[in-house]
Amino acid sequence: MGAEAGSEEARIERALVAPGHDGSAELLLRIRHRNGGLDSVTLDAQAAERLLDHCGANELEQLVGQSWRHLLHVLDETGA
Amino acid sequence: MDLIIRNGRIVDGTGLPAYQGDLGIADGRIVHVGGRIAATAAREIDAAGRVVAPGFIDPHTHFDVQLLWDGEARPALEHGITTVVPGNCSLSLAPLKAEHRPRLVGMFQQIEEMPNAAFDGAFEWTWESFDGYLDALRAKLSVNVAPLAGHSVIRLWVMGDAATERAANAEELAAMQDLLRRCLEAGAIGLSTSFVDVDENLQPVPSRYAHFEELDALAAVLGEYGRMLQVVPEFYATDITLARVDQLAELSLAHQIPTTFSPLFDSAANPDNVSRVMARVEEQMARGARVWPQVQTRPIDISFTFDVASLLFAATPGWYRTMRLPREEKIAALRDPEQLEALIAEAEPGGDTGRFARVKVRAVTRAEDETLVGRSLGEIAAERGSTPARVMVELSLANDLDACFVATDLGHDDPARVGPLLAHPLVHIGASDGGAHIQSFATYGDTGYLFSRFVRDRHDLTLEQAVKKITADTARIWGIPQRGLLQPGFAADVTIFDAEAIARGDEVAAHDMPEGGMRYVRGAQGIDTVIVNGAVAWNAVDGYTTAATGQVVSA
Repeated sequence: MGAEAGSEEARIERALVAPGHDGSAELLLRIRHRNGGLDSVTLDAQAAERLLDHCGANELEQLVGQSWRHLLHVLDETGA
Repeated sequence: MDLIIRNGRIVDGTGLPAYQGDLGIADGRIVHVGGRIAATAAREIDAAGRVVAPGFIDPHTHFDVQLLWDGEARPALEHGITTVVPGNCSLSLAPLKAEHRPRLVGMFQQIEEMPNAAFDGAFEWTWESFDGYLDALRAKLSVNVAPLAGHSVIRLWVMGDAATERAANAEELAAMQDLLRRCLEAGAIGLSTSFVDVDENLQPVPSRYAHFEELDALAAVLGEYGRMLQVVPEFYATDITLARVDQLAELSLAHQIPTTFSPLFDSAANPDNVSRVMARVEEQMARGARVWPQVQTRPIDISFTFDVASLLFAATPGWYRTMRLPREEKIAALRDPEQLEALIAEAEPGGDTGRFARVKVRAVTRAEDETLVGRSLGEIAAERGSTPARVMVELSLANDLDACFVATDLGHDDPARVGPLLAHPLVHIGASDGGAHIQSFATYGDTGYLFSRFVRDRHDLTLEQAVKKITADTARIWGIPQRGLLQPGFAADVTIFDAEAIARGDEVAAHDMPEGGMRYVRGAQGIDTVIVNGAVAWNAVDGYTTAATGQVVSA
């Protein structure tokens, strides 16, 4: 699944690995909202894997441009 | 006098310049500071060439359980820590009804990585009330303890299973207020809560189900005593952290209480986090609120094995794909020469072996690999005529994917950013998490690292400023009376150290938890003697003593 450009939904603008307070690597996502606002969400390794799967992505770069709805699905699935 | 420390370089905790002099102690109290003491004492220590400072205070620990079999909070005491604050992050061992013990054990296991054996037979669970827990602690304390009461356990006591289902009603709110009041009367230094932590089933801890009205009601009780509210905010999201700073400021102003939140740390992935949060803290402090951000001194290390797909491999998609394979497929892929060569080429393009060269071997399961623990993949590769990536794969396969590696200094690691932050007058140095995350990394030695890295190497703080930050400032922020200064009448908590040598030791695995359980620890360097309430509790020659003069201290 490629990037879903063109709609007015919030989208993942950046995906990068960040150090977690508990000594694990985490995924930091920058979400750009339709009004221009920027938000950030942090996922642990398992949630990050689920997001990649849900987006059909093999690597982090392929998350860029994806709708935030994928993220909502993963967060809902993990009860976060 | 019972004890005289002679010829020391006195750094008294005020931040004023150090000076030469003697220090006299009687009946657990400081009775003389500075000048020559003509009298003699039953015990005298020659501190020539050494710093004589107030004992260090660690405001963010999870020693709640360990203190029941180890009243020294090892190895914190030998790092010069004479007072610890356990009960952070909404979790304390009291007040707790017997029927709720399994639930609390699950939370401690998840959040603090405390093994089951720590709760099974390592101590006798004799209490339900907060004062009962303190009585159990007092039996053999060598370090002072200023305990927080945890919001999650207070909620659990009052609401039972509903604590993780819904908001509290008016009757439950009143019951929680009464219970908190009893904890504070018994000696709790404040209340801790968390907006982040989860239990062993990855469900939110009870405190996260509270509405603001509940926190406000509990803060009102704290206000009756002027005690501390400690909070774990959503530190992974700057905007939410800012909202929490504002919320804490409102609680602080409304109830005239000190508040502190932790952790606040710097990361290249979120480079404006610290500056934005500190700007908001400055704004709220200027209004008269007390909102103290706790900042740790140590950089963040990341551990990983090949058994679980660490995001550390995300920058090399081929590796990440391989790590996400089912276990047997992963092993087969790593054993396949063609696939392995492709991975090596991706990790070390054109022979550049820098990516994994500094990664260290942290733990192995195969006895013959034990000598590799603590060494970098770069060193091992050089010895073997191999490359770091290849060595890492070989070790993982040889240890059934259980070889553990650590990539050091991946976050909060830029000293040019962290040093000035630690020196900031509104930053509370803490967030060590002592006694937590015990199977992931060592949470000891942050004070030694403060002196070695940010005083001695970089000069971000003077010796006197650094001592003040972790003694008098901490005591003042938390309202701990008569500690944190070398001053007549104050408790004789004293740390004697070599300013040119104080540091944290290497991280090593120790099997000193109940039933031989493993944890990571760091020894201390440059600490000579640690005195708690007038008695030597540890010194570099004899180690721990049997003085057991620690006390429960409160605000």
